[in-house]
Amino acid sequence: MNVLVLVLRIALGLTFVVAGGLKIGHADIFASQIAGFELLPQPLIAPLALLLPFVEVLVGAYLIVGLFTRAAAVAAAILLAVFDGAIALAVVRGLHASCGCFGPSDQTTTSWGEVARDAAIVIVALIIAWRAPGAIALDRRMEQRHE
Amino acid sequence: MSRAAAARPSRQINRTTIIYATIAVLAIAAIVAVALANRVPKAAQTVNPSTTLAVGDTAPEFTANTNAGAFDLASVSSPVFLEVFATWCPHCQHEVPIVDELAKKYAGKVAFVGVTGSPYGIDGSSPENQADVSAWVDKLNVTYPVAFDPNLTVANTYLQGGYPTLVLIGKNKKIAMITSGEIPVAQLEKSIDGLLSSGS
Repeated sequence: MNVLVLVLRIALGLTFVVAGGLKIGHADIFASQIAGFELLPQPLIAPLALLLPFVEVLVGAYLIVGLFTRAAAVAAAILLAVFDGAIALAVVRGLHASCGCFGPSDQTTTSWGEVARDAAIVIVALIIAWRAPGAIALDRRMEQRHE
Repeated sequence: MSRAAAARPSRQINRTTIIYATIAVLAIAAIVAVALANRVPKAAQTVNPSTTLAVGDTAPEFTANTNAGAFDLASVSSPVFLEVFATWCPHCQHEVPIVDELAKKYAGKVAFVGVTGSPYGIDGSSPENQADVSAWVDKLNVTYPVAFDPNLTVANTYLQGGYPTLVLIGKNKKIAMITSGEIPVAQLEKSIDGLLSSGS
């Protein structure tokens, strides 16, 4: 099970690092993608477009190295659940919003398929949180040093 | 003192330090994000109008004063390829060479026209104007007719949430394709060829 959690941790961590990294430096495009969901008031859109990519990279990096694994996995699950809710609302309202999940070149539009994909990744994050930290994790090394 | 007792403070310091460092990084990032928010173009923070037009609907009539003369949908006998774009929009810049290539390939068979559809100009924050549109045409070597639409009449009718919105209208004035974003040339060719072969 520890090895499985390690594999899931690295897969989810890399997903977050890549998704966040591709958005850094493209706040204008990411802001327009956030605006396309028609959920947030305008004053929040630009700060979120600037901040969210760094949060994604940070959460992803913690998952990869297995540091604060449970907290990082819970944070990932919350972020993904919020994204999933936004995508589902866009689909329900018939919006042709760009998903914006993987940076400016990601032209995927909101669909039930995207909702299902994000829901599956939420489950992965919850599994990691449940069985954290898994193999080869800094959390585990810290525990060993403590013992 | 046991080894475990000696190690405990060191572990606590390490974890605590990392937690504080994480909170500090997030706090600084949040402050920087708020401080730099005004550098994100207003156009990118604006919700675009989204039409309910769909394939098969009758295309609403529109006119535009292009750099190649007046364009009137009603008086065009061939199929029409309409591009609603924004001069600040990077996707639109990427799509221009594709539309330009298609305009040359289907010259005489399909009438191509680009119409501005955003209230914001090339910097994404100041109002759109004719100079921005002319600069756009020169910079990107746009060869098909392009119009500055100050009233956004065409955009309010045809824009489908994002830039560029690409619309293919048949000779029968029915919408054969309506989509937005960076669409590959092969996909557009398929739509145009399908429309031309259908004769509509």
